Amino acid sequence: MKRALPVLALTAAAVIPLWRYEPSLGSTSTEAAPAPTPSSPPASSSDGTVTRTVQGSTVTTEKGPVQVEVTFEGDRISSVRMLKQPHHPQTTAAVPKLVEETLSEQSADVDTVSGATVTSDGYKESLQAAIDAKGGA
Amino acid sequence: MLRVEHVMGFPVSVRVDEGAAEPEAAADAVFAWLRQADARFSPFKPDSEVSRLDRGEVPADEISPDLLEILTLCEDYRVATRGAFDVRLPGRGLDPCAVVKGWSVQKAADLLAAAGATRFCVNAGGDVVVSGGPWRVGVRHPEHADRLCTVLDLTEGAVATSARYERGDHILDGRTGRPVRGLLSLTVAAASLTEADATATAAFAMGTEGIEWAASREGCEVFAVDEGQRVLRTAGFPVAA
Repeated sequence: MKRALPVLALTAAAVIPLWRYEPSLGSTSTEAAPAPTPSSPPASSSDGTVTRTVQGSTVTTEKGPVQVEVTFEGDRISSVRMLKQPHHPQTTAAVPKLVEETLSEQSADVDTVSGATVTSDGYKESLQAAIDAKGGA
Repeated sequence: MLRVEHVMGFPVSVRVDEGAAEPEAAADAVFAWLRQADARFSPFKPDSEVSRLDRGEVPADEISPDLLEILTLCEDYRVATRGAFDVRLPGRGLDPCAVVKGWSVQKAADLLAAAGATRFCVNAGGDVVVSGGPWRVGVRHPEHADRLCTVLDLTEGAVATSARYERGDHILDGRTGRPVRGLLSLTVAAASLTEADATATAAFAMGTEGIEWAASREGCEVFAVDEGQRVLRTAGFPVAA
């Protein structure tokens, strides 16, 4: 069975980035979650799982007021959504024209390498390790 | 000052050239914070806040503001990618790693700035934050580990790369639950690593359509290599001369 009971205030300070992409976010319905929400495992409402929805207080950010809402199924978070968001014009940002190039291989002198290694295991043989070995300056 | 330590399962290099009165202390604070973030937000540690929340052991009113911030970011990206980026894939536990990494490393870089550092470079497992450039940031070639496929010239900002070579089968498309296909690597440069890392991961999870998606995000410059070894990049991507 689904019940709603507000509980706590949420801080939503750093939520600023990306509102322009989702026109659907204005919705405040908690039950009608958008289709792609695969939420928790086979959790069912028939086993008495209580769904609670918690609304945060409105936080003023540099881009405008923000308020989030968190839905719990039992004690698990099943969704976090934006109730209030800055009123950006929907800048359906035109996709910038992409430059197409051929993949090149370089061995330039650099200060650091992005994507060099993700794991500690691969570090020793990585370019980044070689750069670090040269020291700081 | 240069320090390299292993945290969260990857190497973290912290280089401070100018500005901080006590760079070693600033680096100590950086590594302490990253260890704390790992202890609190790793889904692989049974007693982390994330694991406890996932097991239903954290009451709703006791979730920390930091974790709420992370979960909110996760939800933002899930919606923005229409479900391709999802921290709750069916049959798997809550896994906010993709957001936690960029977010916590950006906060670490902010600690350096707060300690007075004016010229520094942080590289955390291939994710980069720099300040006080010029800095030359190479991007690993997707097929040759000892080569670069491009070099960026950055004064200030962050660079993150998602690639098949190390995480191909670890990035799943939330819409299908299957490993992502279509891209060899995708690099994003943005003002913060929170944005660069999550955008790179989310875009990679979308496959080739992720290139345009990332390119249309405000403040993001993109360099992508597809399976046909074709490079597609935004005109504003700061390629070094």
